[in-house]
Amino acid sequence: MIGSATVKLSRRSFLKGGSAGALALFAGPRLGTARGLLTEPKLDELVKRALEAATKAGASYADVRVVRIRSENIATREDRVERVASSEDYGVGVRVIAGGAWGFAATPSVTAADAERAARDAVAIAKANAPLMKRPVTLAPVPANVDVWQTPLTKDPFKIPLEDKAEILLAINREAMKVPGVKFATSQFAAAAEWKLLASTDGAYIEQEIVRIGPGYAVTAVDDKRGEFETREFQLPPRQAGWEYVEGSSMLADARRIGEEAVEKLKAPSVSPGKKDLILDPSNLWLTIHESIGHTTELDRALGYEANYAGTSFATPDQRGKLQIGAPLLTFYADKTTPGGLATCGYDDDGVATQKWNLVENGVLVSYQTTREQAGWIGEKASRGTCYADGYGSFPFQRMPNVSLAPGPKERSLDELIAATDDGVVIAGRGSWSIDHQRLNFQFGGQAFWEVKRGKKTRMLRDVAYQANTIEFWHACDAIGGPKSWFMGGTLTDGKGEPGQINSVSHGCPPARFKQVNVLNTNRRTA
Amino acid sequence: MITQPDTRRLVDRILTLVHATKGASAIVAVRSAREGNTRFAVNEITSSGDVEQLAITLTVQFGQRSASATTNQTDDRAIDDLVGRALRMARLAPENPEQLPPLGRQTYLAVKNPVDPATAKLTPDARAKAAGAALAAADAAKVTIAGFVRHGSQSLLLATSEGLSASHTWTSCGMSCTARTPDGTGSGWAGLGGHRIASIDAAALANTAVTKATSSARPHKLDPGRYTVILEPAAVASLLAFLIGAFNARRADEGRSFFAKKRPGDALFPAEITLRSDPTDGPLGASPFDSEGFPLALTKWIDKGTLTGLPYSRFWAKKQGKPPTGQPSAWTLDGGTASQDELIKGVSRGVLITRFWYLRPLDPQTLLTTGLTRDGVYLIENGRISHPVNNFRFNESPVQMLARCDGLGLTEIPSGGEGGGVRVPVLRTHEFNLASISEAV
Repeated sequence: MIGSATVKLSRRSFLKGGSAGALALFAGPRLGTARGLLTEPKLDELVKRALEAATKAGASYADVRVVRIRSENIATREDRVERVASSEDYGVGVRVIAGGAWGFAATPSVTAADAERAARDAVAIAKANAPLMKRPVTLAPVPANVDVWQTPLTKDPFKIPLEDKAEILLAINREAMKVPGVKFATSQFAAAAEWKLLASTDGAYIEQEIVRIGPGYAVTAVDDKRGEFETREFQLPPRQAGWEYVEGSSMLADARRIGEEAVEKLKAPSVSPGKKDLILDPSNLWLTIHESIGHTTELDRALGYEANYAGTSFATPDQRGKLQIGAPLLTFYADKTTPGGLATCGYDDDGVATQKWNLVENGVLVSYQTTREQAGWIGEKASRGTCYADGYGSFPFQRMPNVSLAPGPKERSLDELIAATDDGVVIAGRGSWSIDHQRLNFQFGGQAFWEVKRGKKTRMLRDVAYQANTIEFWHACDAIGGPKSWFMGGTLTDGKGEPGQINSVSHGCPPARFKQVNVLNTNRRTA
Repeated sequence: MITQPDTRRLVDRILTLVHATKGASAIVAVRSAREGNTRFAVNEITSSGDVEQLAITLTVQFGQRSASATTNQTDDRAIDDLVGRALRMARLAPENPEQLPPLGRQTYLAVKNPVDPATAKLTPDARAKAAGAALAAADAAKVTIAGFVRHGSQSLLLATSEGLSASHTWTSCGMSCTARTPDGTGSGWAGLGGHRIASIDAAALANTAVTKATSSARPHKLDPGRYTVILEPAAVASLLAFLIGAFNARRADEGRSFFAKKRPGDALFPAEITLRSDPTDGPLGASPFDSEGFPLALTKWIDKGTLTGLPYSRFWAKKQGKPPTGQPSAWTLDGGTASQDELIKGVSRGVLITRFWYLRPLDPQTLLTTGLTRDGVYLIENGRISHPVNNFRFNESPVQMLARCDGLGLTEIPSGGEGGGVRVPVLRTHEFNLASISEAV
């Protein structure tokens, strides 16, 4: 399962020694063994001097991250390319603990002198905050990991000619625009390569390069006579992958069908609201998992650390092992090792090796997402490895790993779930989404909706949203698909924290059926 | 943080490099910032940092072809790479018939007092002091508190090969906090933004959050339904953002907007409603120009309830034979003179709402939007707040919020929630659809 097993450069070397005397251990031959093809040699000196400056200024712990993020975006509309952009963001961030408090400083000037200055600034900030600490920050122990990790890929998306990438997008627009009734088509492609070097006074020296890509498009049909329009969006799930992922996908082949669905949706009857059986395609269900299970099991949120912005969680640690979140057929697991998963990597930004573990087992809350700082808060001895910062200028904190719903043991497809349903609605694609600040009341839309009668999809519907309470919803799940029906969706832009940070995260799941869920009509004109 | 003379030299060097390539024109934007923040939760500091940021973006055009490249490095190699990358990509980019050449020299309105030196220079100690005031207020009231203090100074220099040169420097700041009662049944929030840190009283802000937390504890059940509501500024700002986002002439002309088939002169709202963008509003962080360097004008888009027009990009204006407006920013919904208490006094039965959370569009044509209330919801009976009630999910449109508005209070700039960066009043409106109960606190 571990991505690094298939990568030439990657290796894990768990060195013994823990955190004791780490700064002394830091220098020396391990720098040489850690360097892959990515490191700039000048950085050895930079990170060493920054860690020394932090320690000299009074830090009991320090880490330095040198981060370079390259990104490329192409956006098209109908027959033209509207935007071609590439970006590079490079800098160094130093995080320290001094006087039991965190401090952080960052600069885009990647020189040893400025990294030292950032280290001293970070210590000064920590000391300013120290008098207001009631409990000093303590970190769970971690092996002094020295390693290199890279996204497995065969075709670097940054080396594919721009024209080739633009042409696929324009071809998608052309295909969709052939459908009578389609008036607008937009498509876009995004790629980002996140390279980072993490070194800490606990002995981490870890280089990683994570490459993510995400194409998608949207088709709009307009009925000029009625003055109405409907848009059908299609997302090729963003992945850690190379250009081969796009080439091997059916996104171009699907463009005509997506255009036809936009037109059919515009003509479709508006849903009649009420309690209905729902069959959720994985292209819709992944986001429901993200919001109702993924964020719910973030330990900082559950303990009130995100109360001012993203909120808290109904799943508090005192309910661990007891709270039945959903039906017994449901097991949700966290996994930062799934190949292709957006949050997959070798090590988190605490330098902890990534892993896979259950969050909800047979419907019962069993565990949380943690960092080194947080593990002790619930009596655990080691971090789950979910610390992340979205750039050199961002403070690393707890971010969501890939969180997925395990498939059922027996093979069962979406079509079989439909065939076994007398009266219901099938929902595909990501629509509008919203959930309350304790992750209980949610309301989700979709991109395409079909009525199911006596085991068959009969016609498309429009204006559909489902609204439920998280616990009632997952208890209403009475059937899930099997291993072959499992599919991984995801997002490049999950937000959390103040100042806001972005995280990329995947969620795999089979299709699933939910009994008698509240379906709303979102069309003000007919409601 | 890069100095202004260094930025100028950098821009001149980039334009000179591009100028050496036949047929190329260029737009250069240099954004630099120094920002500091302190975060607290569970009655102690949780993180704090100072961050310097820089983004140098070069857009190169060859006729109808165009591409942009960005770097945050200033050494010669990085700049050569930036120029090379932009030139190479622009040559390869497919032609865009909508591409217009860069703007030449422009004149701009002056922003009123955009910079507050004390806000730019705020120290970690001063931030800790502000956070400490909130922690002390929470400890005294035996509630838990979480919050955020931020400040920063930003600069933008924009220049083109056609002679445009525009620059703007401003400061911004904000503080917000959320207090929660130990029994988990009460939660209260307060937040303010602006550009002068001295305008934010940390202790007063924290006390508002603490009072809201204790007064919202042990809420009574209130059934979903359509209610008269008093929306505090943070709630107004987050829902109004969906209406502001719809101000786009092209999308209206293409038939895919709330404003499709609406015309200047249409009376959409009561006469009390005036919605404007003001490029001179320093406290709002207003810029006198948009991302192309187009000069922005003070514009009332809704004047006394009547639509006056929609923003036109340069391309769409040319195609439709209209004057371009640029992309407006720094929006204000004009307020009235009523205090919040006076607005409450006029309500026989209604709901007071502190703020909204997780707003998402449901129907772009009507701007129907969903979201949730949080951090202080109260029943109003016979002109007085009678008791706290549960949270709700709402399904409502900002259009209806304004169409049914019959009372406006004083304006402020909320900070820390969704839909910030606008100046809005507390507002009373009717028939607001609180669609289902949220058990969250």
